[in-house]
Amino acid sequence: MADIKTRNHVWLHVVLISFTVLAIYPVLWVLALSFSGQQSVGLIDLPKDPSFLERFRGILPVPAHWSVKNFTEVWTEQDFGRWMWNSLVVSLMTTALGVFLACIAAYAFSRFRFPGRNVGMLMFLISQMFPGTLMLIPLFIIIVKWMGLGNTYVGLVIVYATTAIPFCVWMLKGYFDTIPYDIEESAIIDGASRLTIFLRIILPLAKPAIAITALFSFMTAWNEFILASIFMESEANYTAPVGLRFFVGGFTSQWGYFAAGSVIVSLPVVALFLQLQKYLISGLTAGSVK
Amino acid sequence: MNFAEHLKRSAVLGLAISILITLALSTWMFRAEESDLRLQHRQRLAVMHANALALAVANTNVEETGKRVSDIQKLDPRIESVIIVGGMQLVASTRAEDAAPRQLGREEKALFDLSDQIRTARETNRGEDVVRKKTVQIEEKTIGHIVVTVPYLSDGQFAGILQMKFNTTGPDVSGADIFSPAPDSYTLPALLFLAALLAGSLFRMSTERKVDFTKLLALGVFLLIALFFQQQRLERLERTVTQANQAIAANYLAAAQQYDRLGYLALPRDNSSVNLWDTDHYQRPLGLIAADGSVSAKTQAAYFDKRSGFLKRILGAIDLLGAAVLLMFLYGYVARTFAALKEHADAYTYVAPAMIGMLVLVFFPFAYGITLSFTDTTLFNEFLPFQDRLIGWANFKAILGDVNLYERTAGGIIWNYQNFYWTLLVTVAWTISNVTIGVTVGFLLAMALNTEGLRGKAIYRVLLILPWAIPNYITALVWRGMFHPQFGVINQVLQMFGMQPVAWFDGVFSSFFTGVATNGWLSFPFMMVVILGALQSIPKDMYEAAEVEGADRWQRLRYITLPLLRPTLIPAIVLSVVWTFNMFNIIFLVSGGEPGGANEILITKAYKIAFENYQYAYAAAYSTVIFMILLVYGIFQTRITKATESF
Repeated sequence: MADIKTRNHVWLHVVLISFTVLAIYPVLWVLALSFSGQQSVGLIDLPKDPSFLERFRGILPVPAHWSVKNFTEVWTEQDFGRWMWNSLVVSLMTTALGVFLACIAAYAFSRFRFPGRNVGMLMFLISQMFPGTLMLIPLFIIIVKWMGLGNTYVGLVIVYATTAIPFCVWMLKGYFDTIPYDIEESAIIDGASRLTIFLRIILPLAKPAIAITALFSFMTAWNEFILASIFMESEANYTAPVGLRFFVGGFTSQWGYFAAGSVIVSLPVVALFLQLQKYLISGLTAGSVK
Repeated sequence: MNFAEHLKRSAVLGLAISILITLALSTWMFRAEESDLRLQHRQRLAVMHANALALAVANTNVEETGKRVSDIQKLDPRIESVIIVGGMQLVASTRAEDAAPRQLGREEKALFDLSDQIRTARETNRGEDVVRKKTVQIEEKTIGHIVVTVPYLSDGQFAGILQMKFNTTGPDVSGADIFSPAPDSYTLPALLFLAALLAGSLFRMSTERKVDFTKLLALGVFLLIALFFQQQRLERLERTVTQANQAIAANYLAAAQQYDRLGYLALPRDNSSVNLWDTDHYQRPLGLIAADGSVSAKTQAAYFDKRSGFLKRILGAIDLLGAAVLLMFLYGYVARTFAALKEHADAYTYVAPAMIGMLVLVFFPFAYGITLSFTDTTLFNEFLPFQDRLIGWANFKAILGDVNLYERTAGGIIWNYQNFYWTLLVTVAWTISNVTIGVTVGFLLAMALNTEGLRGKAIYRVLLILPWAIPNYITALVWRGMFHPQFGVINQVLQMFGMQPVAWFDGVFSSFFTGVATNGWLSFPFMMVVILGALQSIPKDMYEAAEVEGADRWQRLRYITLPLLRPTLIPAIVLSVVWTFNMFNIIFLVSGGEPGGANEILITKAYKIAFENYQYAYAAAYSTVIFMILLVYGIFQTRITKATESF
């Protein structure tokens, strides 16, 4: 019996390992490219008629020469530092604004029964179906032409924050719903105001959900490049995604800079994501069932 | 008496507010109409002068053309410059530095393209015997400085274009400043309102009774004031239109006399021949000014009626809105809403900021986009008045009505990749294959990871989740690099096993495969994690019981695992269908829809129509169709989910 189980596990390990190799190969490839110190898309220069082994060496995600040149140059010779700063400011501002607006709205949707409540929630849901391309031109006209907020952080931030609101509200409302109402009732009897209850009781209890909402808002802003490329015309105002595409899209192909930049951009998000992913799933599926 | 109580008993506030709303909206509409009129007026003036010059040089040789163009330009200071382009030639130019006639330079290719575009427009209109494409191009980047491009004919044949820069900021030939804004007069409405107040002894009423004197009186006063005000403004508008037309006529006459004196074009002495100068954007004569410069009151009245028809309908809608507001006051709805607002003040304050943000930056742009889809707005005609751009359902007819999906030729079937239904087909294929791959791989891996006693679970889990964590635009660009036809890793692997390298982005199927591979890679972890979560929540004793009953593995999978997975799996699939359907980044960044747009999905296609072809309105209509598809899917899916839930 034990024998059969082990043999089964061997096959499982074979399957799992091959999928894991598939899953991490592109990641290792980017890492290798970023430490390769060169700009071409191939990791090593192959001889004219390469043998099987030489080709195999060519696909191994190990650079021919290790070097941190790409990392240093992307900061010193390219504008990448500036773009990272832009992205960071925009993303943090988006997170702050988005989470604040979503928190108070979700609290009201969860705790109060008022006329228009269901319509409001439904509106948030329907807005998720609006295709982005339909909104691009009107948003450009409103933000850039009417408000004159092209090439500014504020323009991007308010658009990103409102884009993130519906998901955040649904997610937070679902969580607030699970916090028992008794706690608030006793606080009300003790004479606490709604605001005190919200700030002192609800928010601390909802910390995990707020963390997810914050992560979501942050990622919305951190990973977006279409609006950013349309709103931010001058190169100094690019956000990191627009800049990364600038390295390898169109006329230039500086794969080394792209790889180094990608590693820098991805590290914080990947770390955060791996920390928080289990909450994200419960939120996603809980929100969609309702 | 508190405020809510007051709202119930008195009609004064309702009357005042409904009148205020109606007058404000009407004024706004009239202002918009006037500024539209102003725009149309100056563009009409510019078109007229361009048409005149095009007629004057239609049948002359190159030297004479150059002379006539510069003569006319010198006579009228408003004509800043004129160029004539015929094929690759710059035939004439009033700018000395242009040194016409000569070949067009490379940086002047835009002019050649414009000429080609207008030629095509003319041919289309002639071929189909309907006016569909504009043959007059207008650009007004700074207000008052208009660039008009009209066809340039030689011996009745299309020979090129004439482009005139016309400055309308200076004084008119007619000397009249028709559009100086007259102050709006609200004295009369205010007096009427006060009179009504006195007559109605402060409009005491009961919101419960269906009809009473106060309600009728209030409604009567409202209609009287609104209609009276609007009538007054309409008359003013008609005066403006008349004056504008007379100003155009004066301009026409002055210019025509010049042409006559120089002997370039004869001024007709009777009013029976058609005025070919004053045309619309399809170069059809407007017929408002006769060839001898006389203006007929009858045609003018007819023109105003046609022009104000749209406005009158909007005014009617505004009146209805105002009346509805008034009725809401009269029947106590406002009082009740006010009470609700007051009672739930907390809730509304909390929700308001998010709601306002959504209204301004999500719902308003959405409505704007829908409106845009009923026009023919492009980058090149944004300057035109809104009414001139309105084309109704034409965009939707062009998108949905074009069923030329393929052509049968001797060599076989040629698919039309630009066709909407092709793109829809690709999108559906794209969605189905991706979701299938995601669910299958996710399910397999989740089952594997859920095996009891498996070592290294945590490590596998973290590594397998990695693709989900990386920003998807980076993933897309990385895979684009790996699919590089010359140096890409994937071709290296193929060659390693003695296969030929593939030019991934050149073939329809191979290009489609690049997208699916990339998206499959980044989307299976989501499914895996969702399914794994569901698997772990299935109680172990169910399997044990089944095993005792003698169920084999297949039966346990079929009768325990799958049914219990369904509540989790269905929402996850629904969600990923919508995500994949709208997965812009992967297609846009990996294959870019290559080859020749064959692998475009709906959303990337809409983007390209808007930002590569600059057909804003067509792209908006395209996006509206996408929205409708998703909406239908959404409704359909809710039904299905509800139906499956009852099992």
